Amino acid sequence: MLPLSSCCRHATRSLLAISDSNAICTGLPALRTQVRNYAKARPGVAKPSSHGFSKVQKKGKGGELEGTDQVAATKRKRYTAFLPMPVAQLTHPLFETDQRNGQLQLQNFHPEILTDAVTSQALAFPQNDKDPFRIFGLPRNLLVEYRILSKPCSVIRDVTIDVINKLDAASLEGSANHRLVVAGSPGCGKSVLLLQALQYSYMRDWIVLYFPRAINLVNSTTSYTYDPRTLTYTQPVFAYQTLERLLTVNGPRLEHLRTQASVEVERRGTVPAGTTLVDLVKVGTKEQALAPTVLAAVLSELGEQTTFPVLLAIDDFQAIYCKTKYRDPHYSRIQPYHLSMPRLLLEYASGLRRFARGAVVGALSSTDTTFKLPLELAEALGLPPTSSGPYAKRVPELQDYAKGLSRVSVPDALTVSEATELFDVWARDRAIPAVPNDELFLAKYSESGGNARDFIWKGLLSTLTL
Amino acid sequence: MATVGLKAFELFASRLSCRPPRLHVLALRSLTTTAATTPPPPNSRFVPPASLETMDEAQLEGDGFDVDRRSRRPRPESRRPVPPSPAFYTARSLYYDTLVQLQSALSLSRRALRAQHLLPLPPFALRALPPAQPAWANKAEMSLILQAPLTARMYKRVVMLLRELDQYERIARVADATELEDAITDITKGFESKKGIQARDTRIRAREVKERGPLDRYGRSYTVGRRKTSAARVWMIEVQKPKDSTSEPVANTTSILSSSNATTPPPPTSTVLINSVPISNYFPLPADREGVLRPLKLAGLLGAFNVFALVRGGGTSGQSGAIALAVAKGCVAHVPEVEPILKKAKLLRRDPRMVERKKTGLAKARKRYTWVKR
Repeated sequence: MLPLSSCCRHATRSLLAISDSNAICTGLPALRTQVRNYAKARPGVAKPSSHGFSKVQKKGKGGELEGTDQVAATKRKRYTAFLPMPVAQLTHPLFETDQRNGQLQLQNFHPEILTDAVTSQALAFPQNDKDPFRIFGLPRNLLVEYRILSKPCSVIRDVTIDVINKLDAASLEGSANHRLVVAGSPGCGKSVLLLQALQYSYMRDWIVLYFPRAINLVNSTTSYTYDPRTLTYTQPVFAYQTLERLLTVNGPRLEHLRTQASVEVERRGTVPAGTTLVDLVKVGTKEQALAPTVLAAVLSELGEQTTFPVLLAIDDFQAIYCKTKYRDPHYSRIQPYHLSMPRLLLEYASGLRRFARGAVVGALSSTDTTFKLPLELAEALGLPPTSSGPYAKRVPELQDYAKGLSRVSVPDALTVSEATELFDVWARDRAIPAVPNDELFLAKYSESGGNARDFIWKGLLSTLTL
Repeated sequence: MATVGLKAFELFASRLSCRPPRLHVLALRSLTTTAATTPPPPNSRFVPPASLETMDEAQLEGDGFDVDRRSRRPRPESRRPVPPSPAFYTARSLYYDTLVQLQSALSLSRRALRAQHLLPLPPFALRALPPAQPAWANKAEMSLILQAPLTARMYKRVVMLLRELDQYERIARVADATELEDAITDITKGFESKKGIQARDTRIRAREVKERGPLDRYGRSYTVGRRKTSAARVWMIEVQKPKDSTSEPVANTTSILSSSNATTPPPPTSTVLINSVPISNYFPLPADREGVLRPLKLAGLLGAFNVFALVRGGGTSGQSGAIALAVAKGCVAHVPEVEPILKKAKLLRRDPRMVERKKTGLAKARKRYTWVKR
């Protein structure tokens, strides 16, 4: 059950107060309705956890998903994503820990070396404190994969070079004509391609905003409140988290930018023109209720400036075009364009809002079957629709939001050289349970038909051959 | 020693007449005639003691081969007729005579082979002999040959002896002992019939066709496999090697798979399509996928053939098993040398297990209803 929004609660109480006072004035007996006191989050309470250290909840903040290890550890307990033991704890000689550390020597992913000569090569993603992967997070299956491997890496393919060329073109033009959607069969490498594009643009001094699991915007896991000013449902917590992450990753670049126009913020007055974007973001992070407005303002400011190109990367792109799991007071499902965060993303994806320099890149995902590729998006991209027929309904608003999207098709199968490189990475990292010989490679490549996810997960990691 | 044995055997073999009926007809005739003076034909061997007195010494010595020296006694002057064979009173004399003759032939040929150190052969040598291709007469024809109604047991006795003789003949053939081989052939060819020869030729032709594994004009094999209620038809064709080695973009990293630092072309890979769908889409379970490709893996033919299968009936693992059997047969069709490997791995055997029927009085095939004490 979703909690009642704070404004609704206040409204009820004020109504009751008014009615009571009216009753007293007119001499009628006062309304004796129940006033319910909902439990409030008590800040500053330290809950003892089994790890022996306490997690202190800061007031008003939701905590980053991939932030400190302490927070991450307790969060992981709940989310049950695979977490391997640290290599240093494997002291038994059977684990051959001394031979594990220096095995995987890969070149670093750097924009300068990304040319056709480097296709079918694996490059390691850099790992720092403010890395977009750490801060924004990763799709769940890729998170588990990078936990099994010793370091996050990926194989450069021809599509990678295509997308990078398109991003280079987009850095000069705007996002109006550079709205890409990465599509392909399940498990072919769409999310990884998006990660490569993200890393590339981050290293090229773009301002990046990445939504690794856009499904969390629409599956009713984050709080929502009705905003009578915009007549939409805002998602303050998610907006607040997005602002925090944007600030952490792009802080130094946002320092250089200043607002062109004053920004009106409800109940806090206006933020004058000329303030740094960092300060504007901090206005939103101080109070969750203001976060949606501030986020929209920050993005529009970023859209107008031309100092840095902006990348808006969205995984699970099809989820923002599906009917959400949120319910309105009539218990009907809310459309995505009636929620603040999906609406914002839809507006940038459709070109209604644009970045003067930059691009919008989305990646489809078929993992979650409750948010399948909708008909409107499938038709706009030229993909075979999942549901069709003469009686299939199309929502005109979503059709408008899907206009002008261009498709980037990822090939269904890895080429043999790409698969060889991938196999090599896993073999050198000692992550394959079987003996890594050419028989295993050929067998698993044939069984998976070249599909990357099947090759690794159902092939190399699921095999019972020794 | 060997020559003595051979010579004796040859003589003995020449004694074995190819037309026993005539001999015994004459013998019978001789028995039925009242003329006491007609001597028994020179080829008869057994002379009852009572008749010995009637025969001359010269006649006895003229045989040249004495079966029973001890029975040489002065012949009485009685005129009792001599049964032509010791088995005369069995009413199946030719049959028993033939058995005795075949057993003697066996022991003689055994002796001859042993003298040439060809017996006893070690098991690997026995297995390496050319296969037996018998053309024996069937029971009815053998009854005609041996002039006696044969039961199955009687027929089997004859055939067992003939088989052993045939084995010795094959050993002699392989060892280039032509005289012995011809001698045994002389004996055994009397027991072959036209029908048997025809049947043998058909069998040989069928086996050749089966061994060759017909490939059609495009070089595709077509094989069928079945498992439970699934049936699969599989076409396998060789992967075309790219003529231009520089066509594919080559990885220039040193990897575990590449043998040298030089840029090598990527290896060919097998594509498997099942009902026109790639195997990764058709079989989501890794076990089913591995089962389909197991014959290629064991035979070392991964990347050598592309597989196209049409499968129908049953469930996922049944269909996977059917395709695996058909793929194994296809491998044998293309590369007959891998047959022993796949046979050892039991991949060429059609799994005979089917769903067991439900029985009356039981809840399912084996499950019983709950036992109630009262």
